[in-house]
Amino acid sequence: MSGVSDRSDCRVILENVSLDFPLHSTAKLALMQNQRGVVPPTKDADKLIMKNGRIKGVHALRDLSLTIKSGERVGLIGSNGSGKTTLLQVLAGILPPTKGRVTITGRPTSLINIHLGLMPHATGHRNIMLRGLAAGQDRDTIESKREEIAQFCQLGDFLELPVSTYSAGMRMRLNFAIATAFTPEILILDEWLSAGDQEFKKNASMRMREFVEQAGILVLASHGPDMLLQNCERGIWLDAGRVRQDGGMKEVLKAYQAEKAGKK
Amino acid sequence: MKRHHVWRAFAWDETKLRYHRSVLGLFWIIASYALFVGGISLFFSGFASLSAQEFTIYVALGYATFTFLMANIADGSAVFSTSSAWIKSTNLPYSIYVFKSLFRSLLPFVMQLTVAFALMLYFGTFAKVSWHAFMALPALVMFLLCAVPLQYALGLISARYDDIQHSINAITRLLIFITPILWVREEAHGTRGLLADLNPMTHFLEIFRNPLMGMDARPLSWMVVIGVTILMWLFAGLISTLMRQRLPFWI
Repeated sequence: MSGVSDRSDCRVILENVSLDFPLHSTAKLALMQNQRGVVPPTKDADKLIMKNGRIKGVHALRDLSLTIKSGERVGLIGSNGSGKTTLLQVLAGILPPTKGRVTITGRPTSLINIHLGLMPHATGHRNIMLRGLAAGQDRDTIESKREEIAQFCQLGDFLELPVSTYSAGMRMRLNFAIATAFTPEILILDEWLSAGDQEFKKNASMRMREFVEQAGILVLASHGPDMLLQNCERGIWLDAGRVRQDGGMKEVLKAYQAEKAGKK
Repeated sequence: MKRHHVWRAFAWDETKLRYHRSVLGLFWIIASYALFVGGISLFFSGFASLSAQEFTIYVALGYATFTFLMANIADGSAVFSTSSAWIKSTNLPYSIYVFKSLFRSLLPFVMQLTVAFALMLYFGTFAKVSWHAFMALPALVMFLLCAVPLQYALGLISARYDDIQHSINAITRLLIFITPILWVREEAHGTRGLLADLNPMTHFLEIFRNPLMGMDARPLSWMVVIGVTILMWLFAGLISTLMRQRLPFWI
């Protein structure tokens, strides 16, 4: 998980990855228990890990294999609870898989939690420094990028104020600006990017394109078809923790939307 | 360790945050500690055979050290749970959170110690301390060496089991009385003396406080401290292999 000398060496390989979320609660499918104490199968039964009538965990990812090479722009789709965020966390090296192997070559930068990476009480400027340090940059590099970050997020004098006074959109801009300023090798984004206004989305798309042209990897999870079509050329459809379809963004999106429409 | 910029910057920010809405700011640490030491010494100095001046310094050094050591246990048990948002969204090494926590508790300790040193200057007892005082430095190194695995292990265990947090409150309350802070170990006989010796906190305290009071710490104390520290590293290594992988799922 170290940086690479040549950006075109960036690679993420998942081999038969399964991930179970453990639950340390006493959640019980009590209502569904019949007289003999046997739990009848429910429609979610295959998603849950049961033991003695208690829910012990959730299967989030199941036997997933995929390879993402440098220069690829991947869009993740799937309904809520299909495992998108979990997969992003695995790709970023945050969650270790329960089974299988994950090989990450290159330094991942992830924007998965909108509140993360920003210290609410510190000013925007201070946050640029803190976030940069956490990303492994030295003080001089961060200083040299400060102007560019301020320019991109267009927060102006608000950078002198604590981040706690920012709106969600402003936080997102700052967060995105910082995360992308240090030319990440592997950029992992969760859906919240769609919280930006039109102009910001356009700028963000441009920036992501520039970056992928420099042979980085982009993985973006979103529900917004425009967002995906604009930024990704490869689409992966996740369904109940498995890859349902992997192919061109357009085709995958079409198939996904067709099924959603069919269900209604 | 090479990422020291990260945890230093974050620890400093958190410390500033704690006091940023007060007029006196960080000076509160010094003010409240001076007030505490003054009050305690007035009330309790009659119970020990030390002179009033010596007793004041005894308390000033002892309580600051005790607070620092206990803070490592309390902070340690929360070290990962308070950083859950970070742990779940970045892949920074977990040790960064430990170093941050340790660095943050070091600052109040140093400021409280300045109160003790100021008192020593004021009473003119510095001369008596002489070369013994240098032994306080290796003692401080031992504190830090022990605090790292302690916080790491406690952080992992309490991320999974809430019981640790609860038990710490219970233990702190007890330890403050069975550790020689307000009383002197040499003057305690029978059960009290035995309890003090069985309590590792006593030994940690004495290897640091004795030199600053112009005495040598007992070899027994050094052996206990070194022994505990080695055990702590082994324990943390074991806990780490068992639990580290699961940490992001627990918090």
